[in-house]
Amino acid sequence: MSNLLSVENLTMKFGGLTAIDDLSFDAKNNQITSIIGPNGAGKTTVFNCLTGFYKPTNGQMFLHKEDSKISLRKYTDFKIAYVAKVARTFQNIRLFPAMSVLENLLVAQHNELMVASGYSLFGLLNLKSYKDKEQLAVDKAKYWLDIIGLTHRADDNAGDLPYGDQRKLEIVRAMCIEPRLLCLDEPAAGLNPKESAELNKLLKFIKTEKQTGILLIEHDMSVVMGISDHVVVLNYGKKIFEGTADQTKNSKEVIEAYLGVDE
Amino acid sequence: MEKKDIIQSFKDSLFTGLIALALFGPIVGLRTASKGEGLFITPQWGVVFLLVGLCILGRFLINLNSARKTEITFFSKFTSKFSAVTEDKAKHFAITAILFAVVFPFLPFTDRYFMDVAIMILTYIMLGWGLNIVVGLAGLLDLGYVAFYAVGAYSYALIATTFGWSFWICLPLAGLFAAFFGILLGFPVLRLRGDYLAIVTLGFGEIIRIILINWYEVTNGPDGITGIPRPSFFGLPFKRSPDEGEISFHLFFNLEYSTMHRIIFLYYLILVLALITNYFTLKIRKLPVGRAWEALREDEIACKSLGVNPTNTKLTAFAIGAMFGGFAGSFFATRQAFISPESFTFIESAIIVAIVVLGGMGSQTGVVLASIFLIGITEMFRDLEQYRMIAFGGAMVLIMVFKPKGILANRKPTILMHGDKK
Repeated sequence: MSNLLSVENLTMKFGGLTAIDDLSFDAKNNQITSIIGPNGAGKTTVFNCLTGFYKPTNGQMFLHKEDSKISLRKYTDFKIAYVAKVARTFQNIRLFPAMSVLENLLVAQHNELMVASGYSLFGLLNLKSYKDKEQLAVDKAKYWLDIIGLTHRADDNAGDLPYGDQRKLEIVRAMCIEPRLLCLDEPAAGLNPKESAELNKLLKFIKTEKQTGILLIEHDMSVVMGISDHVVVLNYGKKIFEGTADQTKNSKEVIEAYLGVDE
Repeated sequence: MEKKDIIQSFKDSLFTGLIALALFGPIVGLRTASKGEGLFITPQWGVVFLLVGLCILGRFLINLNSARKTEITFFSKFTSKFSAVTEDKAKHFAITAILFAVVFPFLPFTDRYFMDVAIMILTYIMLGWGLNIVVGLAGLLDLGYVAFYAVGAYSYALIATTFGWSFWICLPLAGLFAAFFGILLGFPVLRLRGDYLAIVTLGFGEIIRIILINWYEVTNGPDGITGIPRPSFFGLPFKRSPDEGEISFHLFFNLEYSTMHRIIFLYYLILVLALITNYFTLKIRKLPVGRAWEALREDEIACKSLGVNPTNTKLTAFAIGAMFGGFAGSFFATRQAFISPESFTFIESAIIVAIVVLGGMGSQTGVVLASIFLIGITEMFRDLEQYRMIAFGGAMVLIMVFKPKGILANRKPTILMHGDKK
C-alpha cells in the first residue's frame, strides 16, 4: 500500500502555547487512519494545518501523487480543496442549511461547473454543453444520495434533515469534490449506535471503492476500533503511540493518557 | 383568560404609558411659539394625554390578544393568504403583473402624476433587484448601494454631455464604470462580514457623495450637472420643434405633440431595464456562480473547504450588483436631465435596503411588492407633507410585525431532482 500523506515534524504554536509538537506520521491510500487523544490534544489543529486553515509554525506535509509529491504548505484557503484535493468535514456540521440537499452537492462541484458554464457565459446563453455537464453533476449527486439513502429528500432544505443525515450529507458533499484525502472531524459525534453503524458502513465503502484515503478524528471508540487500519494517539500535541487498533487498545501509554497514572 | 393575566397586562400597559409620557411630554407637550419679543413655551398637555392614552390602550389590546394565544386576525390572515397565493401561482402572478405594467400607460385613469410615480416605483424595483444580488443572494449587507447609482448617473451625465454620445452607448459604459467601482469597493471589504461590512459600505457611499460635492472641476460640485441629453426613440427625439434636418417622434408617427410621449417612453425604458435585471438574476441564480453566492451567504468556511474561491465569488456579486445600480443611475440622469449630489444621500441606500429586506431577502417578487408598498404609501400620504415619513416608518413596522422574514420569505431551490411536485 503506497503512502498518501506524510506529515513531517509538524509544529504549531499559538503564542506561548504549543498545540502540536514535532508530530510525524504517515497515512496510506485506501486506509483509514484515525487520530485519537483526550480533549485538547491538538487533533483538530492537525486538521486545520492540513486543510490550510492554519499555517504551521514548522514542519512539512506532503501529499503523494503517483510519482510526485506536493507540499500542502504551499496551498492555503480554498486551494487545498481545489488544487490539492484535500476535503474535510467539520466538528460542528457546516452544511448550507437554507439550500436544498441537491444544491449542497452541486456547490461541491462548483469548479468543474464554473468551467463548464464558461464562467457563466455559456450558462446565460443556455448552451447545451453546459446543460449536459450540469446533468452529469446531478447524476453524481444522485449516486451519492443513493448510497446514503437520501435521494427522496434531495429537494428538501439541508437544514431540515435529521442530525444523523446531516452528518452523512456533509461527508458525501466532501466526496463530491473527488478528494484524494478525506479528513473527517468527529463524524460520529451525536450519533446513536444505529447511525454510527451506518457511518462505519459508509466509510468502509469510501475506503474500498474510491481512490481516497481517510483521516479520522473520533472519540467514539466503537467507530475508531471498528474501522481504523492505523491509529495515531496524541496527547498535549505529542504523538504518544502509533499502531493498529488492537495494539492501541492494549498500549500502556494510551491507557495512561486517557485514564491517568497510578500514584 | 384569568384575572391575574388581566391585571398583569394592565400593569404592563401603565408602564408603557409612563415611557410614552416621558417621550411625548417634552417632545409634544412643550411647544415653543414666538410672540412679540422672543420665544415662549406653550404647553399642550391635552395632546400629550391623548397620545399617552392611545399608547396605554394599544399596549393593553396587544397584551389581551397575545394572551389569547391566537393570531391577530385580519391582517395576518390576509397576508398569509396573499403570500400563499403568490407562491403557488408565482408564474401567473408574474405574468399578470408584467401585462398590467405593459398596458398601464394606456389605462383611462393614468395621468401624468401616476406615470411619474410608476416610473419612480420601477426605478426602485430595479435598484432593489440589483441590490438583491448582493444582499439577498450573496448575503453581503451593502449600505452604500446608492454610490453605484451615483456613479452610473454621473458617468452617464459626464459622457453624454462631454462627447454627445447617444443613450444606448452611454448606458453600458455607465454600467461598466459602476461595476468597476463595485470591484473597487469589493477588494478592501473581502475579509469583512456582517456589521463591519455594513459600516464600511456605508462609509463608501458617503465618500462617493463627498467626492461628487468637492471635485468641482469634474462634477461641478453641489451645483450638479445640467442639460443632460434626453433619450431619443431610436434616433427620433421627443421635441416639439426639432432642429433642422431632424425628424421628431410625433412628426414621424404623425401624432399631435404631447409631453406624455416622452414620459411613456421613459416608463417603458425603465420597465425593460428592470425586466432585464430580473431575467438576468433569475438566470444567474441557477448557474454555479449564483449557487456559490448563496452558499457563501450560508457558510463561508464550508465554501472554502469545498474549493469555492470566496474572493472571486464576492467580487462578481459586488460587480454585477453595482452594474445594475449603474444602469438605474443612467436612467435616472436621463430622466431628470439634471443631477446633483443631493439625489444620492444615505436615505436612498436605506430605502433600497429596506425594500430588499422587507420584500424577503432574495425574493424577486418580494422586491416588487415592497417597492409598491413603501413608495406607494409615501406617495399616498404626500398631503401629510413632513409627516409622511411616519407612514413610511409605520409601513416598515407593520411588515416586520406581521412578516418578520419579509413579505415573501420562501426560497425555491434552483434545481430540482424530482421535478415540481405541484
